[in-house]
Amino acid sequence: MKSKLGKYAAWIAGGLALVGALLMLRPPGQVRGMDVDGFARLPVLEGGRLKPLDSTARNALLVIRGQQTFRHEDRTVGSGEWILDVLFRPQVADLQPIFVIDNPDVLGIMKLERTKDRYYSFRQILPFVNEIQREANAAQAIDAKLRTPYQGAIANLFERLYLYHRLKNTIQLEQTPGLASEIAAAGSPGAAQRQATLADLAYFRPIPPLPGQRAEAWSNTGEALRGVAAGALNPGLEPMARIGAAYGVQDGPAFNRAVRDLQTVTFGTWPDAQTHVDHETTFNRAQPFYVGMAIYVLALLAVFASWAWKPEILRPAAFGLLCAGAIVQTAGLISRIVLQGRPPVTNLYSSAVFVGWGAVLLGIVLERMYRNGFGTAVASASGFASLLVAHHLSGDGDTMEMMRAVLDSNFWLATHVTTITIGYSGMFLAGFIAIAWTLRKQFAARMNPEVSKSLSGMVYGIIAFSLFFSFIGTVLGGIWADQSWGRFWGWDPKENGALLIVLWCAIILHARWGGYARERGIMTMAIFGNVITSLSWFGVNMLGVGLHSYGFMDKAFWALSGFVASQLVLMALAMAPRQFWKGKAARDAGEQAQASKA
Amino acid sequence: MLTAKNPIVRALTSLQLTIVCLASLMILVTAATLAQVGMGTVGAVNAYMRSWLVWWDIPGSQWMIPVFPGGATVGLVLMVNLVAAQAIRLQATWSKAGLWLVHLGLILFVGGEFVSGMFQVESQMAIENGQTVNFIEGRDPEIVVIDVTDPAWDEVYGIHGATMRRDGTVAIPGTPVTLKIHRFEQNAQLRNRTPFDPPSQATAGVGTAVTVTALPPVSADNDVDQSAAFVEPIAGGRSYGTWLLSQGLGASQSFTHEGRTYQLAMRHRRQYLPYAVTLKKFSHDKYAGTDIPKNFSSLVYLANPRTGEARDVLISMNQPMRYDGKAFYQASFGKGDTLSILQVVENPGWLIPYISCVLVAVGLIVHFTVSLRKSSRKREAARLAQSTQEA
Repeated sequence: MKSKLGKYAAWIAGGLALVGALLMLRPPGQVRGMDVDGFARLPVLEGGRLKPLDSTARNALLVIRGQQTFRHEDRTVGSGEWILDVLFRPQVADLQPIFVIDNPDVLGIMKLERTKDRYYSFRQILPFVNEIQREANAAQAIDAKLRTPYQGAIANLFERLYLYHRLKNTIQLEQTPGLASEIAAAGSPGAAQRQATLADLAYFRPIPPLPGQRAEAWSNTGEALRGVAAGALNPGLEPMARIGAAYGVQDGPAFNRAVRDLQTVTFGTWPDAQTHVDHETTFNRAQPFYVGMAIYVLALLAVFASWAWKPEILRPAAFGLLCAGAIVQTAGLISRIVLQGRPPVTNLYSSAVFVGWGAVLLGIVLERMYRNGFGTAVASASGFASLLVAHHLSGDGDTMEMMRAVLDSNFWLATHVTTITIGYSGMFLAGFIAIAWTLRKQFAARMNPEVSKSLSGMVYGIIAFSLFFSFIGTVLGGIWADQSWGRFWGWDPKENGALLIVLWCAIILHARWGGYARERGIMTMAIFGNVITSLSWFGVNMLGVGLHSYGFMDKAFWALSGFVASQLVLMALAMAPRQFWKGKAARDAGEQAQASKA
Repeated sequence: MLTAKNPIVRALTSLQLTIVCLASLMILVTAATLAQVGMGTVGAVNAYMRSWLVWWDIPGSQWMIPVFPGGATVGLVLMVNLVAAQAIRLQATWSKAGLWLVHLGLILFVGGEFVSGMFQVESQMAIENGQTVNFIEGRDPEIVVIDVTDPAWDEVYGIHGATMRRDGTVAIPGTPVTLKIHRFEQNAQLRNRTPFDPPSQATAGVGTAVTVTALPPVSADNDVDQSAAFVEPIAGGRSYGTWLLSQGLGASQSFTHEGRTYQLAMRHRRQYLPYAVTLKKFSHDKYAGTDIPKNFSSLVYLANPRTGEARDVLISMNQPMRYDGKAFYQASFGKGDTLSILQVVENPGWLIPYISCVLVAVGLIVHFTVSLRKSSRKREAARLAQSTQEA
């Protein structure tokens, strides 16, 4: 009866979470009678790949504001509506508070007070653009690693302003009558100059190639207008002009008609593009990693609650939630693999997603084996933590950027990178189990030695697993390096980081075999494994040297330091005797000892 | 007696020693990684990994004290420990077969790295579109005297290594010329001499208008020293003046002695190959609408007159050309995508890591499978014991 109830609880909780995830997919409504979604689904070429304008808009807004939507005049503005304003109603977009500025010195330049919401409109910044540019140029002359926070912030603000400027001048030049009159006047004197400026500033290429052209020969409007001047009107240009004109005057029916016409022109010639952009738009809307993160939090809360109340229902419910989170995350991962046509790990962002995914799957296996709630707790915690890390790594824009030539090898990405990342997953999972063991040992009710033993068995097994994957991954990396640079081992920081993980695993295993480290020792060492893994994963990228320094980030430095410090505290906690924390328990134990002596 | 009872043998084969060595290695690797920021990869690796001891400069003094065993020491001790433990302690039973394989693989791996460290030679081949090249260039400089009298045939004499670095005279074999080396700088900055500079050491050639300042040798991997030397050719008892030679000088400098013209130059040390490589086309693809490189590749024509081989080879990223014990990799490019630079590596031990990797992987799988079976059997037995007890 009880177990049946538990089974139902697992299915119900998991099912509800999945329904919640599916609700994300419902199509958005029209904005003021305009099919903004249809516009956002149009394909554009940007950053070397074809994607829906939806992705470009989301990423641009993410870079400029740090979020994919914002509130303005008491309503939520989505990225699709925002990009339309930027392209065709810049006077409206200029008033929207989209520039996030935190640095007080940068605000000082603009004589602005630091306000509560930190967001400023282009109109507010405009009077100071020249000064910002001058300061940013000075800052950009300095190596990114050596910039002060102010220099970093001003350079960053200028980059965002320039991105905004380029977006505004992608389809038509700001403060000109619009694309329709450009088409009409394509051959007139002065037009060539404007076309050159447009072609130069355009941030993306929305005009499809003509039938017979190469599939990647998308052009920006400047280039397409040059074609008009040369006597060839690209059929995509005219509907785009009507879209702009209709949006400018907020004429819903005309806008929708023009969007449909441009869709017909584009997808009529390039049907494959439609499949791709529809898939990617759905992926963007579903936000599987964000939803997954929320589900993992719920699972974690359910586990915590189960320790205090109704474990027979809440523990299976938590497991059901964990499985639902894993399904959502797996769907997201598969989506990315299909969209990119690449193995799952291609950059730091996707490595974070994958590390969490691996830890969650391992945790599910452990929970099925031991059925004590620990697997669920640790798996949902690591799933949540890694997706949170991934979320913070996505602020640089497109997370599906093209691979540089050196990395352009699906075979090695699939073998070396994936294996190494699975090794990271294992290390973190072992570390998190050790943390759970420590907390339980020190703060919760006395742990049954049977449970404690099974936990240390889990940690040992996972570390052996990680050693295998880290070693194989490291050697595969060496072979890749041998294939592409002629050096098997170059002492590159990232290689050294991987080597450190392998060495640490070897130390833990040898210490256990030799009997030098028992339960407590293994747990403490496993927590230190978190430190080593995080440093070799992110820390070496911060050094800014070597062949792997593709993901330099200074913002993460403090986050990483904080993580390392927290792990050191936890290690101390694991080492400390229980009595140290439980004053009363210690006294009791002391009295008992006295009594027994007497 | 070499038995497990001898205390020295016990210490050498102990697991504690293994752990200490592994931990020391971790410290060294961490230090070497952090030091790369300031010293460059080569400098840091030489200081920490390829050394017997790690030295510390006492600030403000000339003294250096060893503070830690270097990578070579730790590696050696670890190897001895591994081999000794393997030979004396680890039983040759099937249940330990996995560990045997793992340790054998590791020994082979370290041995392979030793072979690479000792025998690996890295050089470069730079070819322009359409050019045919039959030599590779290393990082070290050499001074060459080239007899260019015959327009169809150059006779090249090279001086390199210690001979070049030592002041003194070197007789150029097969010619009446003796070269007197006045000064050699491993790395130097060259600039046009101003009226305020002291007079140049050179008395002939373009060097008279150049001031040479010595620089410390470069440490970063991508930088190459620009060396400089002042040499005085003497032939038939007559001095032809002191000349400045450097890779940084573009102009060719020559003197004529008894109707034969000799060119003097300093260049990166060349090794001539018994075959020639022609660059037919260098391609540099970018992703549409961006500057992100998608692919670099060099289509070359390989001709070996000795074997009669003549074929096209496409060298691209992740796809080197292996020929005659050397591997040619696409490394870099220049001159508006018309120059392709190939990295040429000769490493007799290049296959060893592949073999050892397979050994270790198989060994780990075997060992963990055996342990897993053992532990599950143990759990089974415990359960059986419990159920019989209950019964």
